[in-house]
Amino acid sequence: MDTDLVPPGLTYLADNIITRQNILGVSKEQGARWAQKLDLPAHADTVFFAGCGYQYSAQLEVLMSMARATDKSVIGSELPMRFARFQKKLGLNLPGIYSNVLSRGGETEVKPLEAAVKVLRKLGVQPGYLAENEPCCGAPLHHAGLQSKFAENARQAYRTLKFAKVKRVIGIVPYCTHALQKLFPLYVDGYDLEVRHFLEIVAGKISLFKLKYPRKVRVTYHDPCQLVRYMSLVEEPRRILKAIEGVELVETDWTKGEWATCCGGGGGFETVFPELSQVLAVNRVTELMETKPDIIVTHCPGCIMQLKDGLNQLKVEGVEVLDLSQVVAAAMDL
Amino acid sequence: MKKKSDFTEYKKEIMDAAHDDRLRLALSRAVKSFRGNVKNALEKFPHTVALADEVLKIKEKSIPDLEKLTRQAISAIEENKGKGYIARTAEEALQIIGGLVGTKKLIVKGKSMTGEEIGLREHLEEIGNEVFETDLGEFIIQKMGSRPMHILSPSIHVPREDVARLFSKIMGQEIAPDAEIADMVAAAREYLRDKFFRADIGISGANVVAAETGTLFIIENEGNIRLATGAPPVHITLVGMEKLVPTLSDAFKVSEVTWRYANYTVPSYVSLISGPSKTGDIEKVTTYGAHGPKEFHVIFLDGGRTRLAKYPKLRQALYCLRCGGCLYECPVFAVTAGHFGDKYFTGIGAVWAAIVNQDREKAASLAYTCLTCGRCRQRCPVKIDVPEMIIELRKMLAEGEQT
Repeated sequence: MDTDLVPPGLTYLADNIITRQNILGVSKEQGARWAQKLDLPAHADTVFFAGCGYQYSAQLEVLMSMARATDKSVIGSELPMRFARFQKKLGLNLPGIYSNVLSRGGETEVKPLEAAVKVLRKLGVQPGYLAENEPCCGAPLHHAGLQSKFAENARQAYRTLKFAKVKRVIGIVPYCTHALQKLFPLYVDGYDLEVRHFLEIVAGKISLFKLKYPRKVRVTYHDPCQLVRYMSLVEEPRRILKAIEGVELVETDWTKGEWATCCGGGGGFETVFPELSQVLAVNRVTELMETKPDIIVTHCPGCIMQLKDGLNQLKVEGVEVLDLSQVVAAAMDL
Repeated sequence: MKKKSDFTEYKKEIMDAAHDDRLRLALSRAVKSFRGNVKNALEKFPHTVALADEVLKIKEKSIPDLEKLTRQAISAIEENKGKGYIARTAEEALQIIGGLVGTKKLIVKGKSMTGEEIGLREHLEEIGNEVFETDLGEFIIQKMGSRPMHILSPSIHVPREDVARLFSKIMGQEIAPDAEIADMVAAAREYLRDKFFRADIGISGANVVAAETGTLFIIENEGNIRLATGAPPVHITLVGMEKLVPTLSDAFKVSEVTWRYANYTVPSYVSLISGPSKTGDIEKVTTYGAHGPKEFHVIFLDGGRTRLAKYPKLRQALYCLRCGGCLYECPVFAVTAGHFGDKYFTGIGAVWAAIVNQDREKAASLAYTCLTCGRCRQRCPVKIDVPEMIIELRKMLAEGEQT
């Protein structure tokens, strides 16, 4: 294997997935903490697949701000990323740093997941959740080019899901859902899990509910690449947003739907080019701001992180970045 | 990365570009006008979209058949009293062209990415010839000693004030930084005018080649190609084997789709060239070199293309019509221009670097710069799946497969 050609940012994520089943190498219990008050059953035919992105969003923000700072300095991000990979040998405790951040109020960041579960329940779907037993989809391995590792991980993840007697998966993180839905069948013989994205379920039932946002708002929608160009979920988020009273959907002229501009955080790109990734986030936010929105809505933990950073860099005040699940939950008064 | 310094240097290069506000401004203007023009061109000629599907089928049929098509084209060209050659490598192409040109010649050249790929101009200068790039953008690049930053608009990153300064220096006439662009264009025209007629040799590329008749299709707007391929006594064309399609009718389709997605309703000129100039007007005796070139040489460059054609996923890179549309949709290109590239740009450039130039380090740098966001595929007339190629390429690089 010629992993020397894989940038250190990606090998860092890959090692964490292989050894700890999550992209940051922290404990799975930490990731599952968001669901404590929700009483989700550990055994069910249909499970909600929370994924790393939302569960570890607070920790990811820390990693990214550290990476961006070093990337802009003379040090560059390669060396620290290379070291991070050998953190245990060097006595460096990144997961520990992440945990401290979490205890300092990082829990506000898990809201999209809680909102999504509440929305599903309101729609009559009662999903289970595997919590610390939820396997990692391994998508970053695929994006890094480590296909045999990805295949191995996919087979293991499939066995874990089958062992838990799962038949259907409701995904929410675009990368995870795409991996489980489109990539796993390429590597797992006899793959028989039905995988749907949260958006599809909500869009299918939304007309049955009266939705009203707490206040009148101008909303622009940022399409995550995986949802719009890999899974063709173009019309669904728009149908949902348009069904909400009080929400005025305002979109850019060109860069929407299939033509949406990437937020700059695709497939681990942000760990390889932390600074460039930030430049792209600023560009995307600049485009979206042309619509003069009160809220930028998107539906991907990576995009949320990028767009928030973009707003910060541009020193924009009074504009929120929210996940679509949060907007729907608010409109259902949940 | 194996050669750590390579990646660090590459990253520095693209970050410098990303922090260059003038470059950003030039690019954002170009993106806006390009999108508007393509939209307009496709609305005016809506059949183009279906025609592009047909072109994809033509390319899918042609690429596995490059050897046969090349031989067919060469025999057609020779029947037309031209000369055809296959160059297996860049060095071989330089040798053939160098041999035809010789030394101490005046050469007028049209824009050619393939020429850029093998360093044709530099080679001809090195062996003692005077070469003038005649495409305005390429002319600017040549005189600046820079390299092209876009496949269709090589000087896309140069603002007009810089052009004025450059022209003042080389033309010996003062051009004010706030001069009209039309005046700058006129100055270039005046400067190059006599070169076309004094030149010993004209060199061009080609956008498409019809194998059955050996006909080159060359699309342009400036008219420099008409002059460069028509006025000098010798015309030499360098063209990549991937530009070959079976028939004339296929070539028309590929041409129309190329220019439309390159943002033109219709270009000012399309030259169709199949052989040297000839006349039979005096006693029906065919005589070569009437008003046009007496000699016509076509060099088909393999340079790794037939190798690339054997990779089931990566071969899509050879379907590329070089319309340049994808570049305007790439979020990274929007801030770095051609710095995200090698001989060719963005994701396709990564494939090219890996398989055609067999430079794994460069290929890795480029492959991991792709966001795999997929907007290029949305734009591409022949639906080249760049993210799919990039993931495949990363696999080959990461898992140590042969490139």
